Amino acid sequence: MNQGGLPVFLTDALSGDGVPATLVTQIGEQQISDWHDYWRPALEETLARLRVIGVPRARWPQTTHWNWESKTKQVVGLLAFRGFAITSQGVTQGLMRVDLNHSGRQATQIGKPLVYVEYLEVAPWNRAEFAKPRYRGVGTALLTAAVDLSLEEGFHGRIGLHSLTQAESFYRDACGMSDLGIDENYDNLRYFEMTSEQATAFLG
Amino acid sequence: MQEKKTMTLNLSEAEMQTLDELSVKKDLSKTAVLRQALRLYQTIEARLDLGHKLFIEDSAQNDKSELMLL
Repeated sequence: MNQGGLPVFLTDALSGDGVPATLVTQIGEQQISDWHDYWRPALEETLARLRVIGVPRARWPQTTHWNWESKTKQVVGLLAFRGFAITSQGVTQGLMRVDLNHSGRQATQIGKPLVYVEYLEVAPWNRAEFAKPRYRGVGTALLTAAVDLSLEEGFHGRIGLHSLTQAESFYRDACGMSDLGIDENYDNLRYFEMTSEQATAFLG
Repeated sequence: MQEKKTMTLNLSEAEMQTLDELSVKKDLSKTAVLRQALRLYQTIEARLDLGHKLFIEDSAQNDKSELMLL
């Protein structure tokens, strides 16, 4: 993958127009700076609004405790971990960290390496909970990057992840991943996998 | 694509056979097997450097033993 960035397109949620963006194949200082300077305040704003309008805590964004600065520092220099970002309009729109040390669980690919998506988060202003979501397609662009990495590493497009409950329908319905059920050994989160065939269908 | 460097690797017959077997079992090219092994080795070393321990568990036999890496 190109270290400098690859062109991708997002969709303006209001107009439906295409918005040029860049896939950056690392999480660098700029992304961490954006997380501090833009994501955190936007998230606080979102939470304040949800409190005011009485949205139950169970429906608040489930990634409020994620700290991308520490998630990035934890794996500096480790070959198995890769970071990705989507930037547009000069600001980070989404972040993802993947781990290449995982294997498949599904019968057809059990024990075979896959790209495990550890964390994937879109900027607060691109989430449904935000008053007026700005861009669509950030999550899809990041997951596409995970599949592309899987192909590049010779994993044939296989990826896996544990999904937060709010994102389950995205991975199952929008991305066509197999739902392998609740994982009691991982915070009771639902585990999803994409096979090589599903990856081909996902990439279209 | 990240820039790659090339090296020559001399393996014994047994080592090459093992690499072949892993390549088939894991559905990876031989190069991908070695890259995967390097990542895993580095990950384990990093955890050991933090003072963590690596255990192998056979839950059926209720047996758990520490794996010592050189």
